[in-house]
Amino acid sequence: MHTHETQVRERVRRYLEENFLYMRPNFVLGDEDRLLERGVVDSMGVAEMVTFIEDEFGIKTSDEEISEANLGSLRSIARFVCEKRGMIAA
Amino acid sequence: MCGIAGIARRLGGGIAVEPLARMAAAIRHRGPDGYGFYTGSHVGFAHVRLSIVDLAGGAQPLTNEDGQVVVTYNGEVYNHPELRRELESRGHVFRTRSDTEVLVHAYEEWGADMLRRLNGQFAFAIYDATNQTLFIARDRFGVRPLFYAQRGGDFYFASELKALLASGEVSAAIDPAALDEVFTFWAARPPRTGLKDVQALEPGTYGVWRNGRLRLQRYYELDFPEATEEPRDAIERLDELMRTGIDLRMRADVPVGAYLSGGLDSSITATLAAAASPHQLRSFSITFEDPRFDESEFQRGVAQNVGSAHAVASMGHNAIAESFPDVVWHAETPLIRTAAAPMFHLARLTKSHGIKVVLTGEGADELFLGYDLFKEVAVRRFCLRRPDSLSRPRLFDRLYPYLTEGGRAGDFWRRFFLDAGPPSDPLFSHLPRFHLTSWIKEFYSPQFSASLTGVDVLSEVRQSLPTRFFGWSPLNQAAFLEMTLLLSPYLLSSQGDRMAMAHGIEGRFPFLDHRLFEFSAALPTGSRLRGLKEKEILRRWARRILPTKVAARAKQPYRAPDVPSFFGTNAPDYIADALSADAIRKTGIWSSAAVDGLVRRCRSGRATGFRENQALVAVLSTQLWHQQFVERSPSSRMLDVAAADVVLQDAVPVAVS
Repeated sequence: MHTHETQVRERVRRYLEENFLYMRPNFVLGDEDRLLERGVVDSMGVAEMVTFIEDEFGIKTSDEEISEANLGSLRSIARFVCEKRGMIAA
Repeated sequence: MCGIAGIARRLGGGIAVEPLARMAAAIRHRGPDGYGFYTGSHVGFAHVRLSIVDLAGGAQPLTNEDGQVVVTYNGEVYNHPELRRELESRGHVFRTRSDTEVLVHAYEEWGADMLRRLNGQFAFAIYDATNQTLFIARDRFGVRPLFYAQRGGDFYFASELKALLASGEVSAAIDPAALDEVFTFWAARPPRTGLKDVQALEPGTYGVWRNGRLRLQRYYELDFPEATEEPRDAIERLDELMRTGIDLRMRADVPVGAYLSGGLDSSITATLAAAASPHQLRSFSITFEDPRFDESEFQRGVAQNVGSAHAVASMGHNAIAESFPDVVWHAETPLIRTAAAPMFHLARLTKSHGIKVVLTGEGADELFLGYDLFKEVAVRRFCLRRPDSLSRPRLFDRLYPYLTEGGRAGDFWRRFFLDAGPPSDPLFSHLPRFHLTSWIKEFYSPQFSASLTGVDVLSEVRQSLPTRFFGWSPLNQAAFLEMTLLLSPYLLSSQGDRMAMAHGIEGRFPFLDHRLFEFSAALPTGSRLRGLKEKEILRRWARRILPTKVAARAKQPYRAPDVPSFFGTNAPDYIADALSADAIRKTGIWSSAAVDGLVRRCRSGRATGFRENQALVAVLSTQLWHQQFVERSPSSRMLDVAAADVVLQDAVPVAVS
């Protein structure tokens, strides 16, 4: 497993816990859990999360890239961010 | 329009006037023009009056010729002159010109069957001393409220919960299941109210109380005949129903005004009202300083078209927060949005201009499938027929362009609708809304969640649906759910009757004429929603009376700004108090840690989403409601019986001023 992916994943996890899961202290967010399906974020939340990811990791996301495939779970977010930053081979 | 209250005792022995005077005082805002009492051996009535019809002779309570039948009544029966003529032809003798007296004689003549003959909005109680029977009834769509409580065979009723509590004999214990309904459907589902010992009489229902027992009977059922073709004369029939519906609602002995939102429905009512009014029409609007919610340009345009004298109140950034405790006090329920607050200000504006009665456009969206929710049903079903299609879900972007913040939510946002539930679920149409609203429950405290063990409010609704529901098309099923779960218990109540009557304003609803409902329900759904064009037949007809620009204008969702109002620089002090950890723990409904997190995000300006917005309104309104209705002792204030317009004892007048 790539260190960078792990770091990104844990940073996003902490962000989601602080901002979207503060009312659910016992909620365990799995790496593969679908964020929308488990009610972690809603459509407004996605916009906020994308802004965080762009600012935090210094990437730009096109509207077409805002998809469940790229941002649907912690693991997919980490992979997407690292790919965008060119940290792992495509 | 008025407020009513009463007590019936199983064992008789005479009803004291004091509790009635307290109940009347609690709802005096509904009837600032006068008040009266009836006290008999088994039953006592209170009435506070907003005088609109027969200003001189319409005081209540009122009796029949021999004093054996007594009524206390809130509302309007618009076809009272026609009913009076029919009753006179059958030998009834009238003493006043009021519609109240028509009720008394109609009851004598037809009993409960009288209700089918009434065209109006009403809640009333009639006591028949000949058989010691109390008869209570509510209009077909639940425009006017009626609540009741039972204790040891005694019976209490009133227009508002606060009057029942003021009797001193009804307890204010909360009903957790009712609150769970509020945080699912936006309102408790009648007969539930937020209080365990208080029930709401369901719309289209009457009750007969005798010897300590209450028997309920529905007299009006919503039905959708599922037509396949639009009748050839549909536009002419709609024209006649709209015009006669307005004409009936212009009947009053005071000037009738109109609310103007700037949309199609209120433009129709104001235009027809202006044509039918003997005076220059007075119209009233609310605008917001926040330009995203401001519709003043359209409002002024309509006012100019109809030639009305138009008055506007502008809502500043703190106006919602400043009035919110009063709004909750009058709504008598936790709320999940603040849209009632502008209606509160609109009624205050109307009163300040000396108008007591206004026409308003509610009901059109339910009858003619105007809400986005109905389009959403059509789009969701369309998408689910081809789950792999990438292009079909893009229809959601056309439906809700204002929710996606410039498309930055991607396909996540579409999945919310597609994953909400299967079309086979009878609640399919409303599941996205119910799921979204239910997110509030994440903030429940553990002990409150525990009190809901075994409660499943969605299953309860599914089980309550009438058999005929399952034969209706998906859009008519959605219309039924919208009318029963939202229109009556929320829109007509929290945003309608309560906010208007807080200032002694009577709202009249031409679109809720039952003849018009029956006409619209019998149209094919395609005449109401064609493709994604809502209220199609209404727009087609409205071109006759409105400028094309107004008739064609797409519906604007009614929204009011929430979070910024409560956390701006000049936010009132009560907000921090109500949301403090101590106050949250005292109420016991919410988790103080969760509310803490929510408040932190609100203060930092990060709570911009719909979910946190509604959660904040829910938590804050619940706290205020709990303080006002559960924690605080009911008021012991009484109206002065000696100063009443009417005091009847055993149906014999003893003092009339």
